[in-house]
Amino acid sequence: MTIDLLLRWTHFIAGIIWVGHNYSSVIQRPSWRPLLRSDLSDDQSPRFQALLNREHGIFRWASVIAWSAGIVMLWRRGWLPGALSLHAGLAPIGIGMYLGTLMMANVWLVLWPHQQKVLGLKPAALDERLRCARITHLSSRTNTMLSIPLLLFMAASAHGGIAAG
Amino acid sequence: MRHPYDTATGTIVLGALLSAALVAIARLLMT
Repeated sequence: MTIDLLLRWTHFIAGIIWVGHNYSSVIQRPSWRPLLRSDLSDDQSPRFQALLNREHGIFRWASVIAWSAGIVMLWRRGWLPGALSLHAGLAPIGIGMYLGTLMMANVWLVLWPHQQKVLGLKPAALDERLRCARITHLSSRTNTMLSIPLLLFMAASAHGGIAAG
Repeated sequence: MRHPYDTATGTIVLGALLSAALVAIARLLMT
């Protein structure tokens, strides 16, 4: 088994674990339902406990593994400069790489800091925690939305089909 | 305030629209 295949396998599994969490969220809670003050003011409320139980960090670290495996694959093939500059035939995987990078940044720089406040892991007033819950919803759905073109460009990179004509 | 992300359909439609726009950009870059 080659290192490239191992990296691709890792990329798939970590990617499925990562966006699988997003898709699961859409299936289980397709429509936005705002948190109530009572959901957060009582640590034992069913919704707060459900939020806490979902916060295991697996998808956050899966995002790092999926992204890293992707970057290492590009680097090992000598494709990284072409992907970064969206050069000719490497434009599709370059766009995929930028989408994936944006999604990982969204997880770590937007979703996680706000989620820490929602869950009370970082001190914040109740109103601020409710505001952050709205932001985590939008952040999560942004990644769900971005995963749609991301998967298209991953598939196109391996199998073609984007080029005109 | 309502947002397209507030429903599964809105999220998927936005994803499809962005995909179409990015495919058009990719085709330009590949020519």
